[in-house]
Amino acid sequence: MAFNKQLMDVLACPKCKGELHLADDESSIICKACKLVYPIREYGIPCMIIEQALPLENEEHQTR
Amino acid sequence: MKILVTGAAGFIGSHLCERLLQDGHDVTGVDCFTDYYPPSIKRANIDGCLRQPRFALIETDLNTVNLTELVAGKELVFHLAAQAGVRASWGRDFQIYTETNILLTQRLLEAAIPARLNKFIYASSSSVYGDAVQIPMTEDAVLRPVSPYGVSKLAGEHLAALYWRNFGVPTVSLRFFTVYGPRQRPDMAFHKFLRAILAGRQLPLFGDGQQTRDFTFVSDVIDAAVNASLIAAPGSVFNIGGGHRVTMQHVLELIERITGKQLRVRADGEQKGDMRHTAADISRARDLLGYAPKFDLEQGLALEWNWLQQAISAGALPPLT
Repeated sequence: MAFNKQLMDVLACPKCKGELHLADDESSIICKACKLVYPIREYGIPCMIIEQALPLENEEHQTR
Repeated sequence: MKILVTGAAGFIGSHLCERLLQDGHDVTGVDCFTDYYPPSIKRANIDGCLRQPRFALIETDLNTVNLTELVAGKELVFHLAAQAGVRASWGRDFQIYTETNILLTQRLLEAAIPARLNKFIYASSSSVYGDAVQIPMTEDAVLRPVSPYGVSKLAGEHLAALYWRNFGVPTVSLRFFTVYGPRQRPDMAFHKFLRAILAGRQLPLFGDGQQTRDFTFVSDVIDAAVNASLIAAPGSVFNIGGGHRVTMQHVLELIERITGKQLRVRADGEQKGDMRHTAADISRARDLLGYAPKFDLEQGLALEWNWLQQAISAGALPPLT
């Protein structure tokens, strides 16, 4: 099941509470301020856990 | 209806989500998959729901999402997320209980003010009663919890009542009495007993075996919660019990009969925070919610025993360590 994009309206970065961006390939959710990438798991489950986020390595990461 | 379920992947939450999806509702579940018990168990709990197109799950700590947005547009909220466990609630860990069971509940209630919900169901607990009440326990009894966990659940109940009286959030508190059945948490007695039997070990028994509990089968709890969400008066409180009070010794005899195994029991002594007896007077729920528990203890235990054997053979439960 794909990620439900309507969830973007209710999600905030767990670290800074700021705005998030959905990656173009819809595989992750990105906080540009914290430079963190939150993975979207099987069945479209966004994993908004700071400890499980990955560092944003490419500043030009394509997001919406 | 559009429904939010907190603690969606837990023991009760996952059963509730399944029922709501079966009833044709759109369900958003939230769970933070804490490691109080292995998160893999919760993932197995919610696996069936994840295949349903009307279900969305967010893995997060509710303290980090925009709660106002999360609740907006929903018609019902079932607030089941909590830090469970009576015996673990002493000491420094009480902070986890205050943050999860009290502060989070208050934030969710605050977020519910502008949402104009049909109902906000708060999952309370028999542990709010403590030992100082008559048996069976009636909803109007004086509440004196004997564990920090009970204190935290009672605080949540008071908050729910306050937000109804002051802000019109249509809260209903349901005091669940020792819920059991398939997916029961691994720290709970039946689960521990049945797994010990499968592993050929002694059964750990707290107390002298003469303490009594009112055990409630999980699908009866789900029926009560769904009915409460539809017809309960805002601001009300209900006991949700199984309708039978039995000693732990009797439970052991039933388990012996169901599993066909001779039990070896290890006495682990009294535990601080454990109530001596629980028994629900369910007449209010019966009269006002049409609540009628369908499962007796022997039926329910047999279903939990079947589930546990299947879950272990399917690898959904890690081996007993």
